[in-house]
Amino acid sequence: MAKLSASYGRQTLGDRVFDIGNVIFMTLVLIATLYPFLNVLAVSFNDSADTVRGGITIWPREFTLENYKVIFSYGTLVTAFQISVLRTIVGTILSLTACSMVAYTLSRRDFQGRKFISVFLVLTLYVSGGLIPGFLLMKNLGLMNSFWVYVLPGMVNAFYIFMIRSFMDNLPYALQESAKLDGANDFTIFWRVILPLCKPVLATIALFVAVGQWNAWFDTYLYNGSNSSLTTLQFELMKILQSTTSGADQARGSNIVEQMRSVSPDSVKMAITIVTIVPILLVYPFLQRYFVQGMTLGAVKS
Amino acid sequence: METITQPSKPASAKKIKSRRFWKTAVQQRYLYLMSLPFVIWVFVFSYIPIWGWTMAFQKYRPNKTFFEQEWVGFQYFQELLSDDRFYMVLRNTLAMSFLGLLVGFTVPILFAVLINELKGRFFKRSLQTISYLPHFVSWVVVAGIVYKMLSTESGGVNDLLMWLGLIDEPIQFMAKGSWFWGIVTVSDLWKEMGWNSIIFLAAITGIDPEQFEAAKVDGAGRWRQIWHITLPGIRSVIIVLLILSIGNLISIGFEKQMLLSNPIVIDYAEVLDLYALNYGIGLNRFSFGTAVGIFNSFVSIILLFTANGIFKRYSKESVM
Amino acid sequence: MKKRFSKLAGSIVIASLLASVIGCSNSGTSNTSPGSTGSNSGGNNAEAVSNEPMTITGFFSDPNTNWNNMQDDTGKFITEKTGITLKPEFAVGDPEQKINLIAASGEYPDVISPKGASGALIDAGALLDLTDLIEEHAPNIKAMLGDQIDRLRHSNDDPSIYFVPSLEAIDQFYFDAGGPFNLQHAVVKELGYPQMRTLQDYENAIKAYKEKYPTIDGQPTIGLSLLADDWRIMISTTNPAFWATGAPDDGEFYIDPETHEAILHYKRPEEREYFRWLNHMNDIGLLDKESFVQKYDQYKAKIASGRVLATIDQQWEIDEPEAALKAAGKHERAYGHYPITLDETYKAANFQQTGFNGGWGLAITTAAKDPVRIIKFLDYLASEEGQILVNWGIEGKHYEYVDGKRVFLPEIENIRVNDNNRFKKEFGIGNYLLSLRYGDGVKDSTGNYFTTNNPEQVLENYSDIEKEVLAGYDATYWKDLFPKEDEFEVKAWGAAWNIPVPNDSIITVTQQKSNDIVRKRIPEAILAKPADFDKVYDTMLAELDKAGAKKMEEEYTKLVKARIELWSGQVTE
Repeated sequence: MAKLSASYGRQTLGDRVFDIGNVIFMTLVLIATLYPFLNVLAVSFNDSADTVRGGITIWPREFTLENYKVIFSYGTLVTAFQISVLRTIVGTILSLTACSMVAYTLSRRDFQGRKFISVFLVLTLYVSGGLIPGFLLMKNLGLMNSFWVYVLPGMVNAFYIFMIRSFMDNLPYALQESAKLDGANDFTIFWRVILPLCKPVLATIALFVAVGQWNAWFDTYLYNGSNSSLTTLQFELMKILQSTTSGADQARGSNIVEQMRSVSPDSVKMAITIVTIVPILLVYPFLQRYFVQGMTLGAVKS
Repeated sequence: METITQPSKPASAKKIKSRRFWKTAVQQRYLYLMSLPFVIWVFVFSYIPIWGWTMAFQKYRPNKTFFEQEWVGFQYFQELLSDDRFYMVLRNTLAMSFLGLLVGFTVPILFAVLINELKGRFFKRSLQTISYLPHFVSWVVVAGIVYKMLSTESGGVNDLLMWLGLIDEPIQFMAKGSWFWGIVTVSDLWKEMGWNSIIFLAAITGIDPEQFEAAKVDGAGRWRQIWHITLPGIRSVIIVLLILSIGNLISIGFEKQMLLSNPIVIDYAEVLDLYALNYGIGLNRFSFGTAVGIFNSFVSIILLFTANGIFKRYSKESVM
Repeated sequence: MKKRFSKLAGSIVIASLLASVIGCSNSGTSNTSPGSTGSNSGGNNAEAVSNEPMTITGFFSDPNTNWNNMQDDTGKFITEKTGITLKPEFAVGDPEQKINLIAASGEYPDVISPKGASGALIDAGALLDLTDLIEEHAPNIKAMLGDQIDRLRHSNDDPSIYFVPSLEAIDQFYFDAGGPFNLQHAVVKELGYPQMRTLQDYENAIKAYKEKYPTIDGQPTIGLSLLADDWRIMISTTNPAFWATGAPDDGEFYIDPETHEAILHYKRPEEREYFRWLNHMNDIGLLDKESFVQKYDQYKAKIASGRVLATIDQQWEIDEPEAALKAAGKHERAYGHYPITLDETYKAANFQQTGFNGGWGLAITTAAKDPVRIIKFLDYLASEEGQILVNWGIEGKHYEYVDGKRVFLPEIENIRVNDNNRFKKEFGIGNYLLSLRYGDGVKDSTGNYFTTNNPEQVLENYSDIEKEVLAGYDATYWKDLFPKEDEFEVKAWGAAWNIPVPNDSIITVTQQKSNDIVRKRIPEAILAKPADFDKVYDTMLAELDKAGAKKMEEEYTKLVKARIELWSGQVTE
């Protein structure tokens, strides 16, 4: 901090205009991006019958906790929460390990397999066999009714690998050279020299993987939907969401009395959104310091 | 690798090459150990299911085994390519993804750079956290907010324009086909800008701060620092992401377009992915859905290799 | 900082690992074993003891978050009585995908309710033909169906019975009307209850009131608002065209009652006139400009503000905003339902009878170890005892007879009204409508209605102004304003929209194409200048034919005729 204020003193006029303009611009961005979230929050605390009238902005008109009570009245979400946490943590660790290792080998311009493996991986981003072959594969691998179906199939992700690699490409090669001269093998170089320098990108990828794992519900539905000890929080919330929503197709039956009663309280939906996103938002500050404050090469060197 | 000496005799060249290969392979055994298992992994989970592509050439029924299916050749591809609607949705898809690339790709870079220039630590951190919040809000909600803001009945944008005296009566933004692509692009930017900037911010953090110090000593202003240090420092991340995004131009999902559209602008709103759903899986026509998927993949791969080739040639940075 | 984080993360990992590993292993074993051993032992002793414990697995297309693993009162009672524990999985999202995967993988549950996605399962031979099972083991189901049993048969080529229908109730009687031409009570009251029979009457009322009150609560009055958000365009914009022209609901088709020819209903000349009227309403400024742009929640908010005089929509789409209006004490802004048609030569056919449609329900798969036990279970639920149980719960515990009238105990009724989730979850009432069931208005041997709905209840829910308006029209119920059921012939083909269309029929694709055309052109025609209306409408008809509508109509006609033949019982083996 002291250093920063010192550098303020040396500012030119242009720099100062830049800073002021930047702060004004960013404040506008702040307001614009904060609004949707506040809106969801406000609606989630608003009486669901009143919400229908519309016009809720960032403050509930008729405050209530009822919407949250509704969600938790559907039964215990504790197991589902645990599974979600577990898949997020295990999935992130596995993915980071696998992707960073592969990324390192691809960042080595002298690696023989570099070209082939790059092409082999990148194609996976653009081709897909579809739902049925994927389902049959999981069945044949014995991954149905199993926790591992959450973390294993997506463990090696080409997109993340290329992101990590492009970060590694920017690291000075001299570091590796000197380690090599000290007799370190490739794995040691990766683990001891490269990985510590990659914290910003690893934190970013960890965030991507974690959010992806946390939000996933379709794999639960496909493979573990009938196994209540393996369902995830997102899946359970999805169930609640759907049963509060009147079935679109059912409505085709023109005037069936029972369906007249299925209403979709938007406030409950918003409360579900909040329950979904708040836990994952809490992860962010832990990771954020790695890419806002920054790691410096100098710090590592010394 | 690059400095292989030209072998003098063609006959033994092969042998020498092969011996060299194995020698290097042994030297690089750790690299192989660190990558090959995962290559096999990818083969199992991403390549084996590709047998499903055969469905596009069959009249696929889920209940039959592979050998019992009825083969129909290119029938579904012909159907796809002879449908007028297909060309309409293709146009919409490319238009919106191109706009998305133009705006949705560059603005987050700019945003990341500007965040990096902020001084106050608290402000910087809060801004970062808040700017990515809309990413977690579903499209249903975002589309609802967009609709309310652009409404002719006390919609924020119309009220503002009226107050400024720029218009005399409210504009029905959502009823104008020509506005639709722009509205989708801007909404997407609003929702994803913060989130998409994270990767660039991470890359900026990787830049050696000594470079900035040196530039300051040389008297470089902020714009010059950005131009000469920050942007080149994250160049490789930008290029890799750009190439991968170009490969994805054709598959942009359909959720936002569907939620923002209405019957009046439908000719500008329907995209390929929704078309594939409506006319493929949605009608239990797996074969047709797969045919669209294969078309998608081919276009993607062509785009990918083209982009990769161009960047490789002119910037030395590439994915492959 | 760093240490603290990793420590914290570490402890979270360990804690949740432990918790879930313990959780998994416990429930993991208990999940798999009872299913297999249960049904085994059930199979062995099925003949001897019928309430030996047995677990049935199932997949259901409709989500039900109030399912409490049969640990509710009703569920416990059923298990005790039949020995059956049902272990269902409920669809989340699109059920068809999962059902296709079930068909493709051959991993069938014991029972399945696939709704519209049964095609793949039938093709796969996954479903048992229930004809003999019903004949031999299900006297209650048989009695309930009577000669309508042919309506359960799949097709002329395959007269198997695959489903015990549970979605449509037997002899369902509607106590009241629910749309689609709705008008605020305030409007008709102000105008002294004018005749409300034709579109012209409707238009005049809206116009007169709007001129008199250009604003309501300070905001501009809206004459008529329509909704076109995704599939809802059918409910509010396109279906009313046949309602207004005396035709019943046959989905996107109109079936000629004499020849049984099917045509897209838009092709009827009188429907063109209906849409022309909407065009006219737009032209004179009575139609909400945002009609085809607004989303469902904007529409609801608008209605809840009380300034939309008329809506053309089914009641269940405007339930929520009406509830908000009533909560705000604006009962006069709620809507009445009127039998509006194009002119007086048409008769609103809202209550034309279709007869029992059979259709969607529960199927038993080839994976079921003991189908006889399952059909007996379903038969129990269809018995009088079973029907009262699933609708009312247990006598003495949930309901009692007061002067021969079946009512919920006061404390139960209180929970039913104020905490419906708890009601379902704790008592299980309404969770077990798994088998054939009676609809509203059917009475049991005690002279009480099987279901918990009754006409008095409808009356109780009317507000004072609603009763006043009805009195103004000499009616007690909205339904009284409409032509009665017996004024129409029962449709021999049931409701055409639930005729199953074979997967590989050209109908599926053409239907999608025609939907795409209609949903774009109808709003365009309504918003066009009156002089251009015909041009747009003709374009639409030409496009429909170009997309293959004629061929589709021919195919559909075949399906309709086949159904009539099938239902007449001529095809039984």
